[in-house]
This record gives sequence, C-alpha cells and structure tokens, in this order.
Amino acid sequence: MRGVMRLLIKPSYKTTEALKNVSFQIERGNFIGLIGANGAGKTTLLKILSGLIPPTSGNAKVMNFVPFERSIDFRKKISLVMGQKAQLWWDLSALDAFDLLRAIYEIPYPSYKKRLNELTELLNVNRLLKTQIRKLSLGERMKMELIGALIHWPEVIFLDEPTIGLDILAAHNLRGFLKQFNQSHKATIILTSHNMEDIEELCPRILILKTGELIYDGSPNTLTKKGEIRLKLLLLQYPTPEELAKTTELPITQIEVEQESQNPKHIIFHIKKELIITVLQKLMRLYQVIDMSIEEQSLETVIQQIYEKNN
Amino acid sequence: MLQTLRKYCEVYRIQIKNNLAREASYRTNFFTIALVDLVWICVEFSLFKVIYANTPSLAGWRQEQVFFFLGVFFTSDALFTFLFQRNFWTFTDLVNRGELDIFLTKPIHPLFLALTRWVNFSALFNLVLGIAISIFYAKAADFLGGWKWILFVSWLGIGLLTAILLRFAFAIWVFWTERSWAISQLYYHFFSFATKPDVIYPKIIRYTILTALPFALIGSIPARALMTGLEIYEYFWLFGVLIVFFFFDRWMWRKGLKRYQSASS
Amino acid sequence: MKKIINLHWRAAALKNGFMDAVAYRAEFFIDIIGSALVPASIQLILWYAVFYVGQANSFGGMSFIELINYTIISVLFSQIRGGNQDFELQEMIRTGNLSQHLLKPIGIVEFVYIRGVAPKLVIASVCICIGVVLSIWLPITVPRIFGAMFLALLGNIIHYQVGAILSTFSFLWEEAYSVLMVKNLIVSILSGELLPLNLFPASMSWVWKATPFYLYVFGPTQFALGKWSVAQYLHALGVSVVWIAVLCVGIRISWHLGIRRYQSLGG
Repeated sequence: MRGVMRLLIKPSYKTTEALKNVSFQIERGNFIGLIGANGAGKTTLLKILSGLIPPTSGNAKVMNFVPFERSIDFRKKISLVMGQKAQLWWDLSALDAFDLLRAIYEIPYPSYKKRLNELTELLNVNRLLKTQIRKLSLGERMKMELIGALIHWPEVIFLDEPTIGLDILAAHNLRGFLKQFNQSHKATIILTSHNMEDIEELCPRILILKTGELIYDGSPNTLTKKGEIRLKLLLLQYPTPEELAKTTELPITQIEVEQESQNPKHIIFHIKKELIITVLQKLMRLYQVIDMSIEEQSLETVIQQIYEKNN
Repeated sequence: MLQTLRKYCEVYRIQIKNNLAREASYRTNFFTIALVDLVWICVEFSLFKVIYANTPSLAGWRQEQVFFFLGVFFTSDALFTFLFQRNFWTFTDLVNRGELDIFLTKPIHPLFLALTRWVNFSALFNLVLGIAISIFYAKAADFLGGWKWILFVSWLGIGLLTAILLRFAFAIWVFWTERSWAISQLYYHFFSFATKPDVIYPKIIRYTILTALPFALIGSIPARALMTGLEIYEYFWLFGVLIVFFFFDRWMWRKGLKRYQSASS
Repeated sequence: MKKIINLHWRAAALKNGFMDAVAYRAEFFIDIIGSALVPASIQLILWYAVFYVGQANSFGGMSFIELINYTIISVLFSQIRGGNQDFELQEMIRTGNLSQHLLKPIGIVEFVYIRGVAPKLVIASVCICIGVVLSIWLPITVPRIFGAMFLALLGNIIHYQVGAILSTFSFLWEEAYSVLMVKNLIVSILSGELLPLNLFPASMSWVWKATPFYLYVFGPTQFALGKWSVAQYLHALGVSVVWIAVLCVGIRISWHLGIRRYQSLGG
C-alpha cells in the first residue's frame, strides 16, 4: 500500500501519495488523460490532487502546494469540474452565478469582463448568459459549468467526466474548446473520461489505473502502435508460421496463427500499413487467399484488452 | 485582513442580489409564507390573550410584557429565517449528495458559502411585524426606548447568533447519520420552549434552556434584558454559553469534515 | 345492485401504512415527542407558572389539579388528531404524481387516508392502554376512555376531510400547502390541545364552537374526564356525523371540479 505519486507543474516538484504505487509527475501545460474502469481510483486520485481528501500514505504536491492543506492560494489556482455535480444554481442565470465566482476568487472587474468575453465567444454562448440554468440544454449547461470553472484562470484543472451525457456534437465542441484553452493559457489539465474519443483527441499522455495501480503512463499512440494494422487472412492452405515468415520476409514475431482447434485457421500479420500490398503479393504467389480483413487498433480496444487481462 | 473582510462582504452582497433575482421569478411565494407567519403570530397572541383573560399576571409578567417579549422573539426569529433558515435545511443535501466537494475547492470558507446561499425575503414581513409589535408594547412593558433601541438591535444580534450556533449543533449530525433529518426536526420541537418567556419555567427546564439548549437566548433573555435588565452574573453566563457553543460547533465541524473526507474516497 | 365494497386494496393500503411506520420508526418517535411531550410540558409549565409562581387559586374556574388532568388526558387524544395525509394529496396534485394514481382502480382520497391512518390506529390502541392505566389515579373510567377515543377517531376523519378539500386548491395554485399550514395552526389552538377551550372568554366561545376542531381533542378530553354528560357526548357524536356527511359531499364536489380541470390541462 505504499506508493508515491509525483506531479510536476512549473519547474518545481510536488509529491503526493495515495492508491497503490501510483507515482508520476506532470509538466506544466500538459494535458493528461486519466483512464480506468469504474472503481479503479480515478476519482480518488483527482480528489487527492485537488485537496479534498488526504493520501493515506506517501505524498502529493501540486505547484509546490500540499493539496490537502487547501491553502487559499492553492484553491485560487485550481479548478475541479465534476460532470455529475453542478456548481451553478438551477434558477439563476449563468451571469449571476459567474458574478458570485468573481467575488469568491477576487477577480478584478476588467479582467473578469475580458475573460468572460473570451470564454463565451470560444464556446459560443454569449446569448445564453442571462437565461436561467435550468432552461439550458445539457450541453449548454456543461459549457456554462466550464466557464464557471475557468473564469479565475486556474493553473491546474481537474475534469471529471466533463462530456458525460452530452451528444456527439456537444462533446466535440467541448473538446475543441478544452484543447484551445490548454494551448492558449498553458494550463495543466487532468481529465478523466470513459469516452476514448475525449482522450485520443486531447491527451498526448495518458495514465491508466487498474484497481488502484498505475499500469500505464505514456502516449496513447505508443499504446495503440499508431500506423500498425492487423492484416487478417484466411488461406486455402495451412502453412506454418515459419513458412510464412520465409515467404513474406517478415520476422516471425509479427505473425500469429490463431490457435483454434477447428479449421480453417486465421493468420494475422502485425505490420505497417505501407507493407500490406507487398506482403499480399508475396503470399499470393504461393497460397490462395479466401478471405481478408484489415483492422486498425483503436485506443478503445486496447484499453478494453487491458481491463480484461487478468480478470 | 481588511482585504478578506471586503471579499466576504462582496460575496454576501452578491448572494443577496442573486436571491433577489430569484425571488422576482417566484413572486407568489412571498405572500403565502407571510400569511402562514401571520397566522402563527396570531395563534401565539391568542394563547396569551386567553391566559391573561383569566389572570392579571403570569410569573410576575404582565400581558404587555409578554407581548413585548413576543415582539422581540418574532423579530429575532424572523431575522434567522430571513438569513439562515433555508441554508440549514439545504446543508443536509450538500453533505449527502457530496456537493460540499465543490465548496471545499473554493478559496473561501466553505461554511460561509453554504450558509449564505439562500435568503428568505418573505421573512421580512415577519421582521417588520415583530419590530412593530415591539415598538407598540415597549412603553407599556417598561422598555424606555430612546437610545436603548441600539441595545434592542444588539440583543437581536445575540438572539440571531444563538439561533445559528444552536441550529448548527443540530444540523452537523448529517456527517454521521442518514437520519439527520429527524435530528433537525428535534430542533424545531425544542424550539417551542423559546416561544414562552423563560421566567415561567421551573428550575430544571429553565436551567436547560439557558445552558445545554440555550433557546431562551433567542428571545426571552433579550426581552428581559431590555425590560428589566439582567443580573451581572447572567451577562457572563450568557457570554460563556455562546463561547462554549461556538467551540463545540467548530470542533464538530472539523470532526465532521474529517469523516466526510474519509467517506468520500 | 351496488357493488360489494372492495376490501382488497383497502387492506393493502392499511398494511402499507403500518410498514411505513415501522420503517421510519426514528422519525415516528421524534414526531411523537414533538407533537405530544413538548406541547404538553409547555402547557404544564404554564399552569405551574400561573399557580405556583403567580399564587393563583383558580384559573378560569379550573383548579390546578383540573388543569393538570386536562393536559395529561388531552395528550392521549391530540396524538390521534390529524396526520399529514392532506399534505401528501397536495404534493401529489402539485407534482403531477396524481396521474399514476388516477389510473388505478381505487379512490385516491380514500386510499391516501387509509394508508396514513394506520400508524394512528396503533397510537390509538397504545393511548387506550395508557388511559386504562391512568384511570387508577385520574378521574377517568374505562368505558369513557373508549367512548372518547371513538370521538377522537371521528375527529381524525373530519380533520383529513377538511385537509382533502383544502388540498384541491393545488389544482389552481402551486403554493396550496400554505393553506394547509394555516389550517393546522388554527387547529392547534381551536382543538383544545394548547389549552382547555373553556378558558376562552364566554364572548369568544362561538369561535371554537363554529368549527369541528373542538371535536378532536377538547371534546374527547372533557368526556373522558367526566365533564361532559352522556347526553352531551351523544350530541357531539351527532355533530361529528353531520360534519363527516357534509364534508363528504364537499370532497366529492371539490375533487370532481379539480380533476376535471387537471385533465383538461393534460395532467
């Protein structure tokens, strides 16, 4: 039960601990995706980092602060958005709610005005500012929540399922906005989502949690081996992997013969896209192809495989 | 320090402004609640009216003195209802639904945010009525008025403070039990003791409502202080009770928060 | 031929009510403390203040002992009066949940009453037992306790009927609960649970006699204590029955009108 999680923002190091063997650091301005099945510990991690709960052992640091001390300065620099818990009141307009946030965060009026303009324009919700929150659609409401969470220009933003319940278009718009905000303000964003599109589109780096342990930390592209495909063939003949390797001049590790008892057997080649034609041409000199398909690895399938492994 | 004070004032101002905006969209409410309050006041008055129809004095208090007390009590209670009542009910929801999380990440005291959220303007009717009753019976009840109306205002402050500290002590159990609704309900049952002057109570009860459950500080003690003044030791007493309650509440809040945090992961 | 009364759903409603009372026993007991012990002790304290602190010998023609007896016995009946089924009806109409119930083959007004009365029946039996025990010390007799409880139960029906009629304001107005709250406040003083109604000055006695509320607590208590003759009791029973009949018609009319409006608005 001991682990150290490190989070680096700005050139300083913050160390936090929680969960099991969770240790990482994050550079300022990064956009991090936090992935895991339900109960894997994502929300716990976010809560520790945002200072809501203390780690039981080890330590966490965010921008040089110990989150759980919840110093005023720390709270002014972070923002936590939970897709399932609204901070804006039902029967007020978004503008009234933002005004309260302005006072809470002591934002000088001119910068408040400027930021509000910028955010509402980016999200295209200017005309809705004076509408009561309860009269907005779910997507519009989430946009308002985001504005509310960003109006104080936080340096670190924790987003827990921001696109939950949104339709495809609304989710897409929201992602575009987050990406732009991240790039223009160099804010560090940590995002959890069950929606792999969110992660693929936004996060150059992902952390995968499984039952409280950090099992992957890196780029999603490495995980999906971007550019590599699975060429799946059904041949009339039954060559051995060695024969196939010889024919196609590929290393045997890239060839997989499905170990099913009944015939016919599928043969899978893990190869780069550009090689498809060459490999096929070589094979067709010796064998007859009955069926063929090409599969690309999606993040979703990879993650699914990870979840399922050892279960 | 000054900066912080300014911030809190500004936040409060906006909370009130926002409540006004909300009130504007649900106008009917105001009069309905005012009506219920009016009937409540009438019932309390008729109760004493009936009693004084049969006796000239109750525990040494004349009818006018009791009515002045009722005026002070209604004013003090209206003040609490105006500013805090609803916040204490919604406090339960905040904790149960985990919405306190959001408050905890804001750079301001989460309790301040939670307890200033709702303002109940319909209680203003009762407030005005209570003040009117107090003024109307002041002279007959031996309250001299004049500069002493400043004392009247400060005693209202003490009544309000007592109600907040006491109500909080009943609301805070939400961190430990799902049945906290029933505990809050208890507050309103005990509250009935506040609706009568403390002098009528026998020793044990009087002692209780001056210490462990200081409901007498909401209206009765202020009214008595204004009419006849208190004994010196009573001022110290009162001060002591409020201090103890303040620290008790603070201690419970910290314990509760700790529990909330360990339960919310 | 008239249909035989369908006992099935009525029994189910009653059972449902008992189960609820059991499931929420903490709330149930706190409610009893609030509605019985606190008001009763405040009343006792008032009388104590009048007689001991104020040195009076008699109060409105009643001695200290008589007032104490009244207060204690009145608690037995104030526990039977009312319930908050009328608030339940009101809420159903306001939120539109009524629609689901209208589809079921039951009379909704009666269904809600029966479900809510179940715990009151339990309390009534407990109160009768307490009354029987108290009859050892207090000037009450067992037959009179039963008679008084019967009157109190009729009062319970009347209280609900009044509430059911008032709850139809909800068809017109979102805030109808306030009407019910006002009614309850008025009942609290005119039923005799805050103080004996004969303390009212004679010139004011028409106020409480004009409403059926005195039948809830004051009437039963007076009968149990032997202050009312059997003839007066029978008269009160007669008055109750007339009230029940009149209010029955009132419910039919107000609900008929209300539901017609409800349906014309599309539920």
